[in-house]
Amino acid sequence: MTATAVPTPEVEEQEVIPPSPVVHADERISHRGPMQRWLISPEIGAFIGAVIVWIFFWGNARTFGQANSTLNWLDVAAPTGIMATAVALLMIGGEFDLSSGVMTGASAIMIGLMSRTFMGAGINIGIAIAATFMLAGAVGWFNGFMVNKTGLPSFIVTLASFFGVRGMVVVLSQRLVGKVQVDSIDKQRGAAGWKTWMAHEWKFVEFTGRDQLFLGLVIVGGLAFLYGLLEQSFIRRAGLNGRAAILTVVGAVGVVVGFVGLLKTVGVTNNLIFGLIGSISLIIFMVGLALTRWEGRTVLEEETPPMQKSVALRVGLGAAGVALACLTHIPFDRRQRLPVLTWTSDSLRPVIAVLAGIAGIALAVRAMLPSLRGRWKPVGVIKLVLLSLYCALLMVAGVAAFLQLTTVQALRTIAMLALGGGGIVLILAARGEAGRSSKKAQLMIGTLAVVAIVVMAIVIRADSAAPRFRTGMFAAMMLGAVVIMANTLLEFLMIKRREADAKADTLGKRLQMLGAGAAVIGLVIRLIFTNFTAAHAAAVKAAGGSVGQNVLRETVVWWLVVAAVGAFILNKSKYGNWIFAVGGNKDAARAIGVPAGTVKISLFVTVSLCACLAGTLIALRYGTVQANQGIGLEFEYIIAAVVGGCLMTGGYGSVIGASLGAMIMAISTNGVQSTGWNSDGRFTFLGGVLLLAVLVNNYTRKKAQAAR
Amino acid sequence: MNQPASEHALLELRHICKYFGNVTALEDITTRVEAGKVTCVLGDNGAGKSTFIKILSGVHQPSSGEYTMYGNPVNFTNPRDARAAGIAAVFQDLALAPLLSVWRNFFLGVEPMHMGLVMRSAFMKKTAKEEMAKMGIDVRDVDQPVGTMSGGERQSVAIARAVYFGARVLILDEPTSALGVKQSGVVLKYTRAAADRGLGVIFITHNPNHAYPVGDRFLLLNRGHSLGDFAKAEISRDELIRMMAGGAELEQLEHEIGIR
Repeated sequence: MTATAVPTPEVEEQEVIPPSPVVHADERISHRGPMQRWLISPEIGAFIGAVIVWIFFWGNARTFGQANSTLNWLDVAAPTGIMATAVALLMIGGEFDLSSGVMTGASAIMIGLMSRTFMGAGINIGIAIAATFMLAGAVGWFNGFMVNKTGLPSFIVTLASFFGVRGMVVVLSQRLVGKVQVDSIDKQRGAAGWKTWMAHEWKFVEFTGRDQLFLGLVIVGGLAFLYGLLEQSFIRRAGLNGRAAILTVVGAVGVVVGFVGLLKTVGVTNNLIFGLIGSISLIIFMVGLALTRWEGRTVLEEETPPMQKSVALRVGLGAAGVALACLTHIPFDRRQRLPVLTWTSDSLRPVIAVLAGIAGIALAVRAMLPSLRGRWKPVGVIKLVLLSLYCALLMVAGVAAFLQLTTVQALRTIAMLALGGGGIVLILAARGEAGRSSKKAQLMIGTLAVVAIVVMAIVIRADSAAPRFRTGMFAAMMLGAVVIMANTLLEFLMIKRREADAKADTLGKRLQMLGAGAAVIGLVIRLIFTNFTAAHAAAVKAAGGSVGQNVLRETVVWWLVVAAVGAFILNKSKYGNWIFAVGGNKDAARAIGVPAGTVKISLFVTVSLCACLAGTLIALRYGTVQANQGIGLEFEYIIAAVVGGCLMTGGYGSVIGASLGAMIMAISTNGVQSTGWNSDGRFTFLGGVLLLAVLVNNYTRKKAQAAR
Repeated sequence: MNQPASEHALLELRHICKYFGNVTALEDITTRVEAGKVTCVLGDNGAGKSTFIKILSGVHQPSSGEYTMYGNPVNFTNPRDARAAGIAAVFQDLALAPLLSVWRNFFLGVEPMHMGLVMRSAFMKKTAKEEMAKMGIDVRDVDQPVGTMSGGERQSVAIARAVYFGARVLILDEPTSALGVKQSGVVLKYTRAAADRGLGVIFITHNPNHAYPVGDRFLLLNRGHSLGDFAKAEISRDELIRMMAGGAELEQLEHEIGIR
């Protein structure tokens, strides 16, 4: 019976089955560095988007970035953020809810109607709120139940609820109060009390220690983050490196000297001297710190292989781009606010038109050529001529429209950003590619990239039209140059860890999270407080100036709470695991014992309850609600979730990302107002942001899944 | 060729028949599964392999015959009973969520928690890594999505999970059918590894070249009938291939079309 004990004649020919466990590593999976870890998180697209959008408006609108403006867009973002959290969870679970927008308005209306008309003179608003939450939960349950039971797409089911709720709200409102809006909700019984605890407003103007706290938190957070990065990237030494420790201390002293010097002195020469001292010391400090605790490379000699063509090409193109960007002030005047087409001379316009036409014809010929080659038939030629004509006209019209809509100043900014930014990106890409074969080439190209960034920073400082770009942008670019220089040096000097090290990775991750958290808190303090004292504010008012009133509304707090709870559930609890699994592979999840139906129903209920929360806050805050409140907002929530990195097909995404998405939308709304542009322009802006963020998300997700 | 049972085997099937109305799905099937051994079930399409697994895993009940576990007759009325008794089936579609990380997939549905609130993620990561290492796979990064792993490794995640959660019998349904040559080798290795850890493994396949190296016992099915239940000593690889390929029928075919 014991078959294997008897050797079979073919035993030598058999595949050799090694005794287990022989650990078999998948050679295609390489160790992920810490930066890669950050770059493949689902939120990254939204994060970069939020920063870029913020910088864009900060540079273009004088009031944007002040405390009252920040509090204003936070307030705009809050209801969207609450809803985006729930919608993101639902989307990760693989479903949509088109009734989520109308549910916010319907909840607000229901609270108003109940508190005004029920039982004759209306019921206490607290009871109305509780009852509305129950009703909303029932709608969510209905959505989930129908989707589960019928297997219909949630688009259809929730579209039906959308229309159902929408119609019901208008009918109820007209029957009970005789119009399609409910007002004076805030004057009903209990409303004042509920308002103080659910929709409180904190007013503040002063916080004199703001800048010190901001700098302190950012520096401490930055150091923790840096230490975490090093811990994750490199191999620890057995003991400390004494000489490198001295270097670190020297660097630290230099940084302090440079920083204090910058703060205490005035004048371009002084700034230059102390700026240089600070920057170089910062590089010395970072390199010294890395060498103190972690292993450096011992052999620095190496053969320099011939530079690959692609690397050389990228470096050449990048350098040329940066050089051209420095020359944009020759054809374009930075103060010129005329449209380009008006500004160009009469003799130049035909030239532009002809060039655009030729470009159009070239495009048409290029597109048609493969199908025409070898068989020149009359029909083909006619097609080619017609297409060429169409493309030429389209190009001329397009270029003319673009030049008429764009000012000289804007065209110059675009040219400078495209050439300079593109050039720097190309050089950095070449740096990464060169690093695979030669550390020396990487060092050289990295240094070139840093030089390019410094040159661009100086150019921007020298003649940018926006004053904030001349100061803040310059400082940020110089800091970026310092960081990239230090990073290039570390790549050259240190041994990278290739194996996962659970302890070091955990410690590194914790430090990074702590550091990022501290820096964000510092930034928030910097953004939502003014550094006026009350006395100063009074003086400004007395002199006829205006001090914006800073109001932090509780809606923002609710948003933070909902987002934090959502993120916790998704990432830390088993329900999050189930949500991912149900969205990613419902049948598999069910087969393994996840109650898929319950998970889906509870997600729909969550969306409806969050909608009810948002509606309650609206009703308490404004006191008046229109019956069409919230209609169309469901798409904003979906956009926020998608921009935040949620996969529309489910199974992947982030709650934090969805909140960042809500922030992007609020920043663009508020920013467009601050710049004084037509506020409907924000939709065009949002379209662009949506497309861009999703492209970035797709790219990073592919990286996350393929490149390992 | 069917030897009488010496001791109580982990699983034993005697004269199992299954009829769906007047269709005979399985007729008089006898085999046994022992701890630490791999029993291969071979058969072409329509041979009754699926019905066989469904009976083993409790989806169907046999129309007649004896199904015993450690000598005790069992009567599973649904898959949950079978799972509770330690019979785990790993189907081709795998029950894994591709975008979810290895450790989250590993504990999916049975997540260990701190006070019922927070997942014990450190423990889960460590365990997933260790269990995969026991199967012979070094998952360097348990945070990687399962979808980034190769087909063979995904199979082994499912196998390792079943083993970790107390399976005593592992049913692998065509684990190599969708895989390339090298990946199939990987899966065969893990199949053997699972048996070496003391599990009874039932390996369903239509490929005798995959079955022969790992199997200790071979049950051949053809159109619902058993062509025989052999211990490895009783059958050579060539005989197995010949029987699988239709044996006499194939020789007839060769004659007809003149292949030598």
